[in-house]
Amino acid sequence: MEEIKKFILNLVFYVMFFVFSIIAIPPVVLLALLGSLILPKRLVLKRWRRAISWYGWVIIYVLPFPFIKVQYKDLARGDNEKGPFIFICNHRAASDAFLMACLPFECIQIVNTWPFKLPVFGIGAKVAGYLSVKEMPIDIFLLKMKKLIGEGVNVISFPEGTRSDGKDIGQFYSSIFRAAIETKCSIVPYCISGNENKPPKGSFALNPGIIKIHKLSALRWNDYRDMNPFILKNRVREIMKNELARMDQE
Amino acid sequence: MDKKKIEEMVNQVFEESFEINKGELSPDKGIFEDLGLDSLDIVDLVVALQKKFGVKIRDDNRVREIRTLGDIYNFIEALYKEGNFLVDK
Repeated sequence: MEEIKKFILNLVFYVMFFVFSIIAIPPVVLLALLGSLILPKRLVLKRWRRAISWYGWVIIYVLPFPFIKVQYKDLARGDNEKGPFIFICNHRAASDAFLMACLPFECIQIVNTWPFKLPVFGIGAKVAGYLSVKEMPIDIFLLKMKKLIGEGVNVISFPEGTRSDGKDIGQFYSSIFRAAIETKCSIVPYCISGNENKPPKGSFALNPGIIKIHKLSALRWNDYRDMNPFILKNRVREIMKNELARMDQE
Repeated sequence: MDKKKIEEMVNQVFEESFEINKGELSPDKGIFEDLGLDSLDIVDLVVALQKKFGVKIRDDNRVREIRTLGDIYNFIEALYKEGNFLVDK
């Protein structure tokens, strides 16, 4: 029975993924091109990033339903601070980028080198201003981060750098935390559990189940102003590690 | 300065600047995979070691070959033997 469910999920998801992408992407690209002729660049970028968010929402919430469900829990409901924020997320599966793209904010993501090489998606990400941190010196990265945060753009980062094997959380790279210190931007950890096999590393096959996302309380500048990047990254990692252990046991 | 003193002082750098517990500091520990430093943290480590030992090591190519905590002990010891220390504590 499980195998049949898995077969149907993958068949429906990938066919719909292809069809939806063919239908949705060209008109959005056309609108963006037309918009860039008459609208300010900043506004076009804002709309383009929101379009990516809607696209991600359909891919995550609509296409795999009811075989994969996403449970979102805001554990920081009392926080009423307005962004921009730096969102720090653990990285177990390729679906993380889509899950985080669904956030209802204007966001860009910090990516590895390979997503820029993807057909269509790579171009879309480049146009949206996603940053490939490995392809630039740290001082250029910090300058770009300052500009983005200054414009009110939220930044999503996966500081493990690559997908972890299984449920462990890998060591964090410090560049995004250096950017946080430089910009005094609040850090919001997001923990994702349950998608380690959606799809598993080295495969495209999705498995039915529930993906849990927990948004944790923000670490504000005042919380981390006395920390250096190494201490800050490990503090955030520890908070996320503890929450992930709770989530995996639920 | 003997090797034990050097090890003690290097460990102090890790405890003070990186808040790594003494119990985690042993010569076989990899500074990247076990202690969690990345290439940018290494720059901070070099600065902290320079300050601690009063020695200029930033441009020393041997820094690039460091992989474990034991490599750092050996590197600092070699610098000491070469007479590079400005401050002999």
